[in-house]
Amino acid sequence: MFTRFHFFQVFVFSLMIILGLGLFQTQVVRGSYYYELSKRNRVRLIPLEAPRGRVFDQKDRLLAANRPSYNVIAIPEDITPEVYPRLARLLEVPEKEIRRRMSAGREFPFAPAVIMEDIPQELAFRIEERRPELSGVSVRVEGIRCYPYGETASHVIGYIGTINARECDAVDRDRFGMNSKIGRAGIEKAFDDSLRGWRGGQQIEVDARGQMVRVLSDRKPEAGSDITLTLDLEFQKKIMDMIKGLHASIVVLDLETDGLLAMASAPAYDPNIFVSPASSEQRLHILKDENSPMLDRGINAAYPPGSIFKLVTALAGLDLGKITPQTRFRCTGSFQLGPKSKPAHCWLHEGHGNLNLYEALERSCNVYFFNVAKRLTPDEIAHYAHELGLGEPLRLEISRMAPGLIPDSAWKKARFNQPWYQGETLNMAIGQGYMLVTPFEILRLTSIIAKNGKVVEPHLVVQERPILPESPHVAIREENLEVIKRAMLQVVESDYGTGQLARVDFDKLAGKTGTAQAPPLKAHSWMTGFFPYKDPKIAFVVFVEHGGSGGITSARLVKQMLETWRDLYAAPAA
Amino acid sequence: MLRRLLNGIYFPLFFSVVTLAVIGILFIYSASYRDPGNYESKQVFWILAGLVVLIGVPLIGYRPFLSVSYPFYVLTLILLVLVDFFGSKVLGAQRWLMLGPIAIQPSEFAKVGALLAGVNFLGAHHPWEGQTKTVSIALLLLAVPLFLIFKQPDLGTALLFIPMSVVILFLWGVRKRFLIASFSALALAAPLAWGFLKAYQKKRLMVFLNPNLDPLGSGYTALQSKIAVGSGGFWGKGYLGGTQTQLHFVPEHHTDFIFCVIGEELGFLGSLLVLCLYGFLFHSIFLVMQHTTDVKAKMLCGGVLALLFSHVIINIGMTIGLMPIAGVPLPLISYGGSSFIMTCMCLGLVLSVYKERSIF
Repeated sequence: MFTRFHFFQVFVFSLMIILGLGLFQTQVVRGSYYYELSKRNRVRLIPLEAPRGRVFDQKDRLLAANRPSYNVIAIPEDITPEVYPRLARLLEVPEKEIRRRMSAGREFPFAPAVIMEDIPQELAFRIEERRPELSGVSVRVEGIRCYPYGETASHVIGYIGTINARECDAVDRDRFGMNSKIGRAGIEKAFDDSLRGWRGGQQIEVDARGQMVRVLSDRKPEAGSDITLTLDLEFQKKIMDMIKGLHASIVVLDLETDGLLAMASAPAYDPNIFVSPASSEQRLHILKDENSPMLDRGINAAYPPGSIFKLVTALAGLDLGKITPQTRFRCTGSFQLGPKSKPAHCWLHEGHGNLNLYEALERSCNVYFFNVAKRLTPDEIAHYAHELGLGEPLRLEISRMAPGLIPDSAWKKARFNQPWYQGETLNMAIGQGYMLVTPFEILRLTSIIAKNGKVVEPHLVVQERPILPESPHVAIREENLEVIKRAMLQVVESDYGTGQLARVDFDKLAGKTGTAQAPPLKAHSWMTGFFPYKDPKIAFVVFVEHGGSGGITSARLVKQMLETWRDLYAAPAA
Repeated sequence: MLRRLLNGIYFPLFFSVVTLAVIGILFIYSASYRDPGNYESKQVFWILAGLVVLIGVPLIGYRPFLSVSYPFYVLTLILLVLVDFFGSKVLGAQRWLMLGPIAIQPSEFAKVGALLAGVNFLGAHHPWEGQTKTVSIALLLLAVPLFLIFKQPDLGTALLFIPMSVVILFLWGVRKRFLIASFSALALAAPLAWGFLKAYQKKRLMVFLNPNLDPLGSGYTALQSKIAVGSGGFWGKGYLGGTQTQLHFVPEHHTDFIFCVIGEELGFLGSLLVLCLYGFLFHSIFLVMQHTTDVKAKMLCGGVLALLFSHVIINIGMTIGLMPIAGVPLPLISYGGSSFIMTCMCLGLVLSVYKERSIF
């Protein structure tokens, strides 16, 4: 009887016989073919790098592209000893160097080693001509990154570098090889995964002289995807020119799309020097420069906000009902918390006299806000600062730093193990003391005010989906934001305003200046605002490190920037 | 003394184990004598330990093993969970648990744990009564470790649970429609499982279907191992004479790809010899199965046979491109303590079934 047991037995031995037949096929029938392949291991592996995706500005101008680069490669297994001196003479490098490159780590045995990257075209042709006497050597054309506009948007785009051995071990080999480039900063880093395509490769069968007989297997590389930024190259370039020679940052946001139109930081660097291995000296120079050209002052550096923070203090006072727009305080030029405390001064030593909130913001009176601060706790002020995005994560595609610092009593306790002193609240109210913010956070704050409390998250990469109309609102009453907007209008348009130098003749601007003390050096200069006052189209922040008064240095830059904006976007004033 | 120990040992089976182990040492040496690691001397130690297990298990008998099968099963599950948390990562897979200086591979133990528990459970229930319930519980019992191993991720080992489970259910007397139903369920679950696979596993499977997909990666491994085995031809290049495997074109040549070394150095003759030794081993297990009337013993032997058989088919099959590349050792030959000792334990159970066979 044929039982299940027998069935099992027949099954096992049939498969064993099939396996035996498979071995017969591989070893006996095709044995000599495989033997030939194995004799000198006639299979060469040629990895093919994928072209990196390109980066465009909003008008499809290329910010990061690929240009062809001629690379000398060699398969060490196919090299004969007399090739070394010949190649050394051609490339004008010591023979030892070529041997070193040849024995440097490779991805696989029988894969080519890179001897020299990005050689001049005529040299490449000379090598190609002499290939018969250079066995195992070849020239390969590959794409190499180039940044046509150099410094113009270097902080946004970032740069690339060659992957190091440890990184290489940790990642997917379909995407990275030994000599692959990887984004090191900016968009190049943040979007490395999509800019990077999928590598390809070829298995090639060669004959005894290292010449290709046929392609055994081939996979084409897949190019990475392109990225379009919200930046406008022309605007960006003009702004970069404005701040040339300064240590400054200007960021401009399109309020309709929440996309950044310009994001400039000076001094800047030329990202091209990170591409070519020849410019290592320039790289070192840039990295050691004490002006830190690599630093994006817009998002990666935090400074005291100075008087700009009075917007937050005012909003906290209004929203908690501690003051009304008509609440008046008298400024005599100095202020004392108690009879025995050290007097705190207004920047205008002779005093502003009797002011309401509008006038206080317009003239940036310190004493008025000391009085407001007396009615508030530091935690209340900090709450409103956070509500307006200060000290909150930046969420910009390329940000890598934690945001600035908004101190409160718990922070003070944790940091210094001390209670909060009321005198410190005075400092806080005018944006001095422990407080630090990045220009980007100030831009976000202004945009939220300009949009009547709608939460704004600026971005750099053009997004497919439109912004939802019902985006969340900050928990601040709209009429209070309206008060602040009107006060910001007065800052520029009133003849007492601290920001009147920024005034332009073609429309009304609302803004706020800041002059943040940074002893022993000159104060940091700030100005932020939105334009036009009615139906705002852009919001901006201008920051000049040790630039002196905000009402002078930054306000002048704001005026220039607005005029440029008008020339580019708005119809010429009628 | 020795005679008493070996009394009742089934010699054909014992003979094939020792021969395969010796071949293992010879080729572990050939594969790795240029590298540091002294794998062959370590393997000698594992083999001695394994032989002790092989001779020791029949002294205890298989019944006590079955009676502690549930606690043992739970223990292996705990180890599998532990390896998820404390295991060391090799190539993105968490498979090893460090116990002092020894690295153990809980998935090897889990195979035996699941086999014993499954057999014990099925053996306690009659196939004619309430089959639906019994089969469901048995499948659950086998599926839990399978899922945990699958998640490590060790696809190869996880898949080895399937032939083992099918065989014990089949020998137990599961109705054909249950078998058909389970296979359809498996076929339906396969696309779901695809989502759980790591990128490199998907790639291996895709490359098996289309070697052009990854010419520099697993496609290269597959080609090189085929070149290694094939270049051995009929007679082979002679012991220590392989060039492919010696030159490291084939990875893991002392563990999962050891058959490349054998195929290259001993040729078709040597491959056939190894295949025949396995065939002989399977044949002796079949004979043991024929001599027992205990259902549990029969299922146990069948499960062991299914495990070893699927290892051999997958391992040798992948070196000649008949199977996708999977991290499955060649039983008794590949370097590795956990695998060798567990194989010996399984075969020890078979020996003990033989020792307690019914005398006609």
